[in-house]
Amino acid sequence: MDISAIKLEALKEIGNIGSGHAATSLSNMLQNRIDMSVPKVWLIPLSRISEAMGELDTVKVGLYLKVEGEAAGKAMFILSLGSAEIIVKTLLGMKECPDLFTSEMGQSALKEVGNILVSAFVIALTQFSGIELQPSIPSLAIDMIGAMIDSVLLEEGKVDDNVLIIDTKLSGMEDMEGKFLYIPNEGSLEKLLGVFGL
Amino acid sequence: MNIVITVGMADYKIGKTPNKLMTAGLGSCIGVCIFDLKLQIAGMAHIMLPSSKEITKGSPMKYADSCIALMLSEMKKNGVSNMRLQAKMAGGSQMFAFAGQTPLLKIGERNAEAVENELKKAGIPLLSYDVGGNFGRTINFDIETGNLHIRTFKHGEKVI
Repeated sequence: MDISAIKLEALKEIGNIGSGHAATSLSNMLQNRIDMSVPKVWLIPLSRISEAMGELDTVKVGLYLKVEGEAAGKAMFILSLGSAEIIVKTLLGMKECPDLFTSEMGQSALKEVGNILVSAFVIALTQFSGIELQPSIPSLAIDMIGAMIDSVLLEEGKVDDNVLIIDTKLSGMEDMEGKFLYIPNEGSLEKLLGVFGL
Repeated sequence: MNIVITVGMADYKIGKTPNKLMTAGLGSCIGVCIFDLKLQIAGMAHIMLPSSKEITKGSPMKYADSCIALMLSEMKKNGVSNMRLQAKMAGGSQMFAFAGQTPLLKIGERNAEAVENELKKAGIPLLSYDVGGNFGRTINFDIETGNLHIRTFKHGEKVI
């Protein structure tokens, strides 16, 4: 897979539109301002994926939703443990965050965040492009980032040598640190770029 | 000086004592170590998918069969003897579950089976393994002792 500069720009724009809506919906949900960075588009060989993801054994909270439809892909919201706790505390109106590993309430709050975030992303993308997309229900894991990423990439039993990732950083609220990733499936890229006439 | 050699996804590395081999954050992937204790040489592969025969596309390093074959042929150039080779592996988990759905492919499980088969075909005994579950693993192989050290986040540490 090879991507020209203009196509990378188009993908960045897709990330911008989707993540902008996602950040707004998260701001509304948390009643706090959440900012997002200009998306970064990675086209990276599997063996160097840590350049995009950081140390692969770092523990993070990962929310994963499949996006089905004409330009299917995978959406992930990745948070530091501390940021996930801030979100859960804020949403549940609690002073102390429940243990995220055992608390069903805490976990469903996080899944709801995943839901809203990815829905906002997908709706924005659909409105802009006319491509019909539907997010799945969310799934949650709290574990090493590398383990989460490989499972997501391999779910269909195939993976490209180079992975394309649209990567947006979200920040706000006492050091909240999160990453929103969109990984288009094989064949979805042409569909997405087609919207730009590319 | 001893160096820790890091193996990336869809890659393998070969090392000699006193160096160590490691790969971080295995989910559905498998980390397999093949070693010759007498010569103190070991290879570690980070395998992503079972077989290159079903899908012919892309790098041979992604698949259990082709990656192990490449690693073995490089190890043999370094003089290891097939008779003395032994193996250990870890990984092959299922990280994400969707309520009410059984995963279609169970890639982790299939990866573990594929590696086991390839080792059997090559006549290399699989001394021990730690596979499955729904958690990630970071592994570290000590070439000198043949110990495979496995670290997880919430499921403890062990040496196999």
